[in-house]
Amino acid sequence: MIARAVATGLAALLAACGEPPVQVQIPFIAVLDGMPMACDAGGEAALTDLRFYVYDVQLRDTAGADRKLELRADNDWQQVNLALLDLETGAGRCVNGTAKLNNALVGTVAAGDYRGLSFTLGVPFAQNHGDPLRAAPPLGDAAMHWHWRGGYKFLRAGFVTVDDGFWIHLGSTGCEGTLQDISGCSAPNRVTVQLHDFVPGRDVVVVDLGALVSGAELDDATATDCSSGPAEEYCVTAFRALGLDHASGMTSGVQSLFSSRTSP
Amino acid sequence: MAVIIGTLYWLLRERGYEWTLPEHLPRPSVPADNPMSAAKVALGRRLFYDTRLSVNNTNSCGSCHQQALAFTDGRPRAVGATGQLHPRASMSLVNVAYLSRLTWANPLLEHLEDQALTPMFGDNPIEMGMGGREHLLVDLLRSDAAYKAALPAVFPDDEDPFSVLNAVRAIAAFVRSIVSFDSPYDRYVAGDLNALSVSAERGMQLFFSERLECFHCHGGFNFTDSTTHENTRVDSVGFHNTGLYNLDGSGAYPTENTGLYDMTGERRDMGRFRAPTLRNIELTAPYMHDGSVATLEDVIAHYERGGRLISDGPYAGDGRLNPFKSEFIRGFELSADERHDLLSFLHALTDTSLVQDPALSDPFAAP
Repeated sequence: MIARAVATGLAALLAACGEPPVQVQIPFIAVLDGMPMACDAGGEAALTDLRFYVYDVQLRDTAGADRKLELRADNDWQQVNLALLDLETGAGRCVNGTAKLNNALVGTVAAGDYRGLSFTLGVPFAQNHGDPLRAAPPLGDAAMHWHWRGGYKFLRAGFVTVDDGFWIHLGSTGCEGTLQDISGCSAPNRVTVQLHDFVPGRDVVVVDLGALVSGAELDDATATDCSSGPAEEYCVTAFRALGLDHASGMTSGVQSLFSSRTSP
Repeated sequence: MAVIIGTLYWLLRERGYEWTLPEHLPRPSVPADNPMSAAKVALGRRLFYDTRLSVNNTNSCGSCHQQALAFTDGRPRAVGATGQLHPRASMSLVNVAYLSRLTWANPLLEHLEDQALTPMFGDNPIEMGMGGREHLLVDLLRSDAAYKAALPAVFPDDEDPFSVLNAVRAIAAFVRSIVSFDSPYDRYVAGDLNALSVSAERGMQLFFSERLECFHCHGGFNFTDSTTHENTRVDSVGFHNTGLYNLDGSGAYPTENTGLYDMTGERRDMGRFRAPTLRNIELTAPYMHDGSVATLEDVIAHYERGGRLISDGPYAGDGRLNPFKSEFIRGFELSADERHDLLSFLHALTDTSLVQDPALSDPFAAP
């Protein structure tokens, strides 16, 4: 009886929408100043980490309307509105990484022609301040939880070159209350990403870590870093690349960490 | 063997847990979802001292929190399992069950269950280095005979008791059991007026005087203003800038240790750190959040001056003039005798039974 009701409802829905939703895969690749980069790269630059959360993924149809990409919940990397992307393999220089890789978003969207992708880099506030030891995947990963800042690392990324390097941990700061009972954070530090030319099925999302240090003078021989703190010198350029105001943690420009290009 | 251990834990589970406290003291508050039991404390003690909880099997919680040093490590700044230097000194775990906030300058950390995750899983700096390796901890809990027997007995209602969550709960319960109220000062308060020397008694008067102001931040039965307990109604939390640095003349602290400012981003919070307990302070040198003051005599000299003057080097500056300094750090003058008396009082806060208590000792250590 219930099964029939569901089937009838589904049929009605399909009739209303015309076509069934289609499956979409959105691949991500890591680069440094445009060049592909990996943990075990033999060349000069190597990835040391690249993991991040995204949510509210939408595709823009040719009429200009944003359609939600419903992620395929897999009890591992994705919930319906939140995903952890993991572009490091634990090999080579990614000493604190994991062998598991998750380099694409997978979900369904209403059938249509799309040009344009948007998402938010981060974890929604409602999910950001719970107990990580009780959270459902992908929020149960201790490496992604930022215990002393009271929420998750939205992004943990880094690279090394011959004579220097950089890493960043991005997450909300200035949180008030106590862990598991946070009322708000003065610097949310969530990044809005809009890739206007992205065509699903044709393009990949490019994560260029070079953007995080563009214009910065890195210290030779040491990996400089940014832990999203207020006094941190190297957060200034990184936050600019993320389109964030370092003081307020609010969007203040267009991010340049993510871009899109035609899949090779 | 496993059956015997399991039975032992089962028997202990049937026993509740009771702290050994002076009559006039309230019990610590305990999170509702992690009640104390003797079995849980015993399990937590083993986990606390187990080096297999670190990435390279070198460090346990007890490496940086050693019983002989009132659960500190004697270093200016802690060193993690992989050798990475921590920006801050290991804090004493004595009476942390009574703290309203944990660690040096984190307003978010109220419960030991939450705090434990930073040393276990944090990676900047690496302490235990287990971030991303939670499955290895679960494997250990499932394979070690003692844990295999203890966890189902301690957490009988759990379908699967072999979880990081339960390990953390047990460690927190053990740490909550580390209480210290058996110093000469405590015996004096309890009515044994001979417990303090005449010098220490005079030192006590100085300590609690408006002239020295020590007790404003190091007040109450636990000698810190961030104290809570089962009867607490008001959240009492104190963070204080004590004038240790003044890098730029406008109050800056070294960038790796800006204190509460790093958490809030508010300039007025620059250099504010939580006042640690002074219990067993004789055993916990060197002092301050970064271990930059070597002896108790130096600490007293710092407060006498009302802030520290660093005349050269990268940290040069006059901390006395730090604009964010606590209003209670005004400086004072002591005679040599008074200085000696104050020191005698601080030494009278040492609880030798704590450092010898077998219930708090390392179960893996050779007898």
